Amino acid sequence: MFFKSTAGLEDFETAAMPHLTALYRTAKFLVHNPAEAEDLVQDVYLEALKSFHRFQPGTNCKAWLFSILFHRLHHVRRRLLKSSLEDTLRDQDSMAAEPPVPQEIRDENILAALDQLPLAFREIVVMADVEEFSYKEVADTLKLPLGTVMSRLSRGRKLLREELSEVAKSYGIGNSAKDAEGESA
Amino acid sequence: MNVLNFDSRQCDRTRRQMDSYLSNELLVETTDEMLRHMENCVPCSSELESRMRVREALQRAAVRQPVPEQLVQAIHQRLKKNQSRPYWTARAPAWALVLAGAALIVIVGIAGQQWMRLDRTREMVASVLQLGVSDHLHCAIHGHNYPNVANPPEVLREKLGPQYAELLPAVEKKLPGFQVLEAHICSVPGSPRKYVHFITRGEGTILSVILTKRNGETLPAGRFVTAGSFGNGNFYEKQLEGMSVAGFQVGGYFGFVVSNLSEHEMDQLAEGLAPALRTALNAGQAQAALSHLIVPFRQ
Repeated sequence: MFFKSTAGLEDFETAAMPHLTALYRTAKFLVHNPAEAEDLVQDVYLEALKSFHRFQPGTNCKAWLFSILFHRLHHVRRRLLKSSLEDTLRDQDSMAAEPPVPQEIRDENILAALDQLPLAFREIVVMADVEEFSYKEVADTLKLPLGTVMSRLSRGRKLLREELSEVAKSYGIGNSAKDAEGESA
Repeated sequence: MNVLNFDSRQCDRTRRQMDSYLSNELLVETTDEMLRHMENCVPCSSELESRMRVREALQRAAVRQPVPEQLVQAIHQRLKKNQSRPYWTARAPAWALVLAGAALIVIVGIAGQQWMRLDRTREMVASVLQLGVSDHLHCAIHGHNYPNVANPPEVLREKLGPQYAELLPAVEKKLPGFQVLEAHICSVPGSPRKYVHFITRGEGTILSVILTKRNGETLPAGRFVTAGSFGNGNFYEKQLEGMSVAGFQVGGYFGFVVSNLSEHEMDQLAEGLAPALRTALNAGQAQAALSHLIVPFRQ
């Protein structure tokens, strides 16, 4: 009687463990360091287990786990966003022209481009485009107004295309789409 | 004859909607309209294809990221260990329970006193943060004392006067994505207090950066009342009258960032702004106290 039942643990693992892959890759995209991402995800699961009694069965478990992930990340985030917001200055100039995108996009190139995005944009691009959360789910999870989510996603995607274009150039990859877009513009 | 491919306004609108289309957030009618346009517009359909290509490439690359095997094991073990931790490791003898009870009474008494002190401290912080919120609401939100098109920097510098003109570049630099529409010295009716007020627009909202003289008042320190720190200072945050406000001390002034953005965003902005404002204040004549200010209230 002095020990908690393990029945709750089984229910928790059934509901939460299927989302491990999504949580880990998101954590890795956000903190860069794989070891730190592993620690972060472990902490998320422990915290989720402690508050599992508050989780309503039938609701979106993935969104709930992501809320915990971002809540924990905000502790780290203050430090990271300092540089992130400074980096954001770059996007002032980014709205002018549509960057050309290579026809062939390699995994390493798109991931390198994603790494270059300021955190405030990267987290929204990952949530919306990789994990396919709706605008509302992203807004609820990050506690941001819907309009901010939409504008950051739009700017984040554009920054990604710009970075991709730069990364591709640095790898010496040709851009067959450029000519086509030049013709059509 | 369909001339949609020559309608640049339709192209602009289509491109603005592309991100919502990619996220499947458009209404069916809007989606139909957009697709009809793209049937006849090569540049737009080419751009959409390009954006889809990037999104698909990102998804493809992301799902190929493996999860370390040891992570799954580590999580299982930590969950199991945490789940089976005993609540109570041994039954205590009666005298120990009595002792524990007495200690508990003392602790509750001390905690009660501490709690009341903490409550008063929080009230003190809230009353200071209220200064910034009041000016933001009175001047920017209800008074709408800013133009729709930003005033030029030279006009803003003139309104600020030589004491505070150097704050302008600091605010502009530390608020990426925000445009400074207005900067002036203002006050709230019923109070002689003056505010150096920057009104900015960005992220779909109006955000104020405000400075006012401390007049010897200070914000209390302590981890239960502060929201974070910068350099050798602390910053504070609160939700007041529907607004998020982050406050801090810079030299002889209280500084505030006020808007309806989330608390986390306000934290980040305050962290960046506070040291920059301190430097700007120290740099020029801005060190002059607000009590010397003779600039009339401008709008």
